[in-house]
Amino acid sequence: MRALIEELCGVFGPSGEEALMRELIGQHLAGLVDEIRTDRLGNLIAVRRPTAGNVEGKRIMLAAHMDEIGVMVTHVDAQGFCRFTTIGGVLTNTLIGSRVQFANGVEGAFGMEGSPLSRERPTPQKLFMDVGANSREDAAVQIGDTAVFRSGFGAVGDRLFAANLDDRIGCAVLIQTLRELESSPHEILAVFTVQEEVGTRGASTAGYGLEPEVVVAIDVTATGDFPEATPMEVALGKGPAIKIMDRRMIVHPKVRGWLENAAKANDIPYQLEVLEFGTTDASAVQVSRAGVPAGTVSIPCRYIHTPSQVADLDDARQAVSLLAHALGEEFA
Amino acid sequence: MTRDRLPPETDSFSLLKELSETPGVSGQEERIRACVSVHMAPLVDDLRTDTLGNLTGHKRGINPCGNKVMLAAHMDEIGLVVTRLEQGFLRFAPVGGVDLGALPAQEVTVHGRTDLPGLIASRPPHVLTPQEREKPFTKAELFIDVGLSADALAESVSVGDFISVRQSAAELGNGQATGKALDNRVSVVVLLQALRLLQQRSHAWDIYAVVTVQEEIGLRGAMTAAFQTAPDLGIALDVTYAEQPGASAEEAMPMGGGPAIGLGPNLHPVLRELLVDAAERTEIPYTNEVLPGNSGTDAWAMQVSQSGVPTALISVPVRNMHTPAETVALKDIERSTRLLAETICALPDDMSALALDRNG
Repeated sequence: MRALIEELCGVFGPSGEEALMRELIGQHLAGLVDEIRTDRLGNLIAVRRPTAGNVEGKRIMLAAHMDEIGVMVTHVDAQGFCRFTTIGGVLTNTLIGSRVQFANGVEGAFGMEGSPLSRERPTPQKLFMDVGANSREDAAVQIGDTAVFRSGFGAVGDRLFAANLDDRIGCAVLIQTLRELESSPHEILAVFTVQEEVGTRGASTAGYGLEPEVVVAIDVTATGDFPEATPMEVALGKGPAIKIMDRRMIVHPKVRGWLENAAKANDIPYQLEVLEFGTTDASAVQVSRAGVPAGTVSIPCRYIHTPSQVADLDDARQAVSLLAHALGEEFA
Repeated sequence: MTRDRLPPETDSFSLLKELSETPGVSGQEERIRACVSVHMAPLVDDLRTDTLGNLTGHKRGINPCGNKVMLAAHMDEIGLVVTRLEQGFLRFAPVGGVDLGALPAQEVTVHGRTDLPGLIASRPPHVLTPQEREKPFTKAELFIDVGLSADALAESVSVGDFISVRQSAAELGNGQATGKALDNRVSVVVLLQALRLLQQRSHAWDIYAVVTVQEEIGLRGAMTAAFQTAPDLGIALDVTYAEQPGASAEEAMPMGGGPAIGLGPNLHPVLRELLVDAAERTEIPYTNEVLPGNSGTDAWAMQVSQSGVPTALISVPVRNMHTPAETVALKDIERSTRLLAETICALPDDMSALALDRNG
């Protein structure tokens, strides 16, 4: 599974340009599902029909988003420096010192107007991107081109380091769940969504189109386990987190109970999560049509939305185990 | 159903007190829903709870014209949720727009394995530096004490348990009442009392009286209820800011001046005229509330459901909103009730009467 996460983290895929991710995930899903298709917005929808008929099954949508945050060029000046806007929740404080990569392989570094010794807080207006060009004509990028944050994939024991574990680790968990799940009474709609980082837009339309009876998102969540963190119980290495609430959604008690029961019955470590900022695809599907019971299985991840995110491989493995066990059981 | 077994009439304050004191933080509305159900059941033909927990009462029109009006009053209240257990105390996060400045020394109920009385603790003034005394507490400085040892606390409370404010409702002078969660239990009273008035009246439209959930965290219940109901018209019932020291006439509505009828892009101009006409015809005092964009009410969600719904908004002025010491003028509740009932009885059978281009 580590290799799968690393492979997914290496693929270019800012919100709105998820084609390479879709292609790679499609290859991994071959033979794992009964049907696979891409919808109008680009969501990849893989359907696994029920295989165990002894209990009542539901249509359960699982959502992991393929897109990642990034930047988009808005202007290239005469010297070849680029001004840019952000795609998704980019933290401006983290830009200086980070590297981005365009689809064509061009690298970008960030600079700020004025003295490098100034302690001024970076604002988007003062920042620019250096793409290795000497003039506008020389620049290998143009207005509208997008780039994603890239730093080498790293690992120390089970701790993984990458710029985009959000949500490549969730995509890996969903693929691995389909690999490990032997039989289920449920119709499983595994959806790899687009445009989550710009407002859960892919999940909104996939939820409307698929009309699931239950939705579970698989995404990363923040932790409270580093110095002066917002008080929060979630920590790395203590298992997946079963969400109770985030900025936009309160989890349906039945979904929470179903997941918690699966964890308890199979001795899977888990944590309960109350997140004070951010949300997931589940919040969009929850209010689709006349409403869908919604929940989220979260992979704890430090420094979310920065170019150096850290998560624990064992939490991802346990998330797979939790999902596979829950999906094998009745939703009750 | 038989309408000859109506429960005895309840006065608005008693009903408000009962609803105000029943807990119902967004996402955990079971108890308030059960309480509203008891009062609504005898007033409607059918009552059901949907996937997200909205309670919908359907009262059929007399000589029905086939049109549906959805009334939306949210039953959830702002509150807190446990984020961490720390040395026998609880850390928390707000659910909805909680006024942190009004929290210290509040009594609360922690809805753990059982209901536990607790309070919001903070450091006493004696140990604060002069600079610290100048500033309100931040959330990181506040914690909840339920008096239990760390071990006993971990037995009874877990991360994710909801916390509601504990405050009894009371009558004040000059026909006013105070309590917690008057946003929006006041409107639930308006809805129930209007349904009661309508028992004796003739209305052609089918009424879907929806008591919504999760309004305080983003109008979520109203979105799905509006989709399910697919109404021809929507009327949201909520509260608005009442004038008080520090809130001028430009920012707030007069207390005791009657319902505020919303005016702005969220509200349908022709439907709004129907409300104004109903108020003037029946001599109900009212005010105009100008809402330049998002009204922040269930009307905002209803308006864009499916292919669009003309919406109106009736708001009751409330002071000290989003604190445990909200106050309301009881006569504003009574007037809003009459305005709602009169409007429903005056809805036109033909939807073309609501067309925006009346020359076209």
